[in-house]
Amino acid sequence: MGFPVSLRLDDPVGPGGVPEAAVDGVFAWLREVDARFSPFRPDSEVSRLDRGEVPRPSAQLREVLDLCEEYRAATGGAFDVRLPGRGLDPCAVVKGWSVQRAAESLRAAGARGFCLNAGGDVVAAGGPWRVGVRHPEHADRLCTVLEVADGAVATSARYERGDHIVDGRTGRPATGLLAVTVVAPTLTEADAVATAAFAMGTEGVAWAAAREGCEVFAVDAGRRVLRTPGLPVAGAAPGPGPAAGKEHTAAPV
Amino acid sequence: MKRALPVLVLSIAGLVPVWRYAPSPEAVTAPAASSEASVAPAAPSGGSTVAAGPVVGTEKGPVQVEVTFEERRITAVRMLQQPDHPQTTAAVPRLIEETLDAQSADVDTVSGATITSDGYRESLQAAIDAQAAQGAGA
Repeated sequence: MGFPVSLRLDDPVGPGGVPEAAVDGVFAWLREVDARFSPFRPDSEVSRLDRGEVPRPSAQLREVLDLCEEYRAATGGAFDVRLPGRGLDPCAVVKGWSVQRAAESLRAAGARGFCLNAGGDVVAAGGPWRVGVRHPEHADRLCTVLEVADGAVATSARYERGDHIVDGRTGRPATGLLAVTVVAPTLTEADAVATAAFAMGTEGVAWAAAREGCEVFAVDAGRRVLRTPGLPVAGAAPGPGPAAGKEHTAAPV
Repeated sequence: MKRALPVLVLSIAGLVPVWRYAPSPEAVTAPAASSEASVAPAAPSGGSTVAAGPVVGTEKGPVQVEVTFEERRITAVRMLQQPDHPQTTAAVPRLIEETLDAQSADVDTVSGATITSDGYRESLQAAIDAQAAQGAGA
């Protein structure tokens, strides 16, 4: 899947601190995940399962596929890792799930304050951490800044890979949104919900906002920003609506 | 209450599918519960009347709404009971609309769909990492 990973750790590493092996383990685990679950590697477990070369998925792949199915059902098929004419592609769930696991292993090793960023998806612990959200049109600018103590932030957007997220209901690229960012307790949830909401298009914003524990910041194709009142915007108290900005109840699916 | 009207319209638009949502065959109550017979008016507060609608059984679970009236206008609708199901919970979230802002700010990390290394190089996160590495090396 090939994404850059950066880890910022506040705790000391080494004797008395977080074991160096635990830090190395984060990167080793993510490399292992890529080797096993990437649909772009013909010898990965995902590719072999898809070709029917393995009788049944491993327990971990089973877990990933169960999550995929959960989100497929929750989005009425908009989020689908088995699109017609394409191979099995569980990337959208694998990434959040694997990075979340990496963060948990760091925590288990004694890390208290860290910020793990894998390809723009973030797990923060022991913050407050200031998490900028990339502007959908300018790579060097932000469109908002969030403050996250413990939690995860994931963004799905069109800007870099073009129209790569497909609405499973129509089989066409999703174009209703430029970007959607989800803050959730875990990256497993944040990443999958961001991708699923993006696949659903504009209606995905309300869908994501209705997920328990999820806060949403979305930019639609008309460059309009829609966000939930509880979004942890840095420097602003979260809560019911600010003076500027009009509120409305989202229409359902 | 200034913004009540747009909120109201969207609330009602949002709730109609809830009321109409796949009721099981034995569901008895009329779907248009907003201002009709089955509503039991309660405690008026400052000229408004709050009324709880009947509990409507659907195949996903019971649904009940509470409607606030000012005279004959509905000024607020609140869900008292709803099934834990995306198609009904989706009627509830409130969203704030803002304009898209481009800003630079001091941040610890950047969230964005940065997938390829080309994108990474031009991204802010790269700058942050470079600065952190420099700081650590100094």
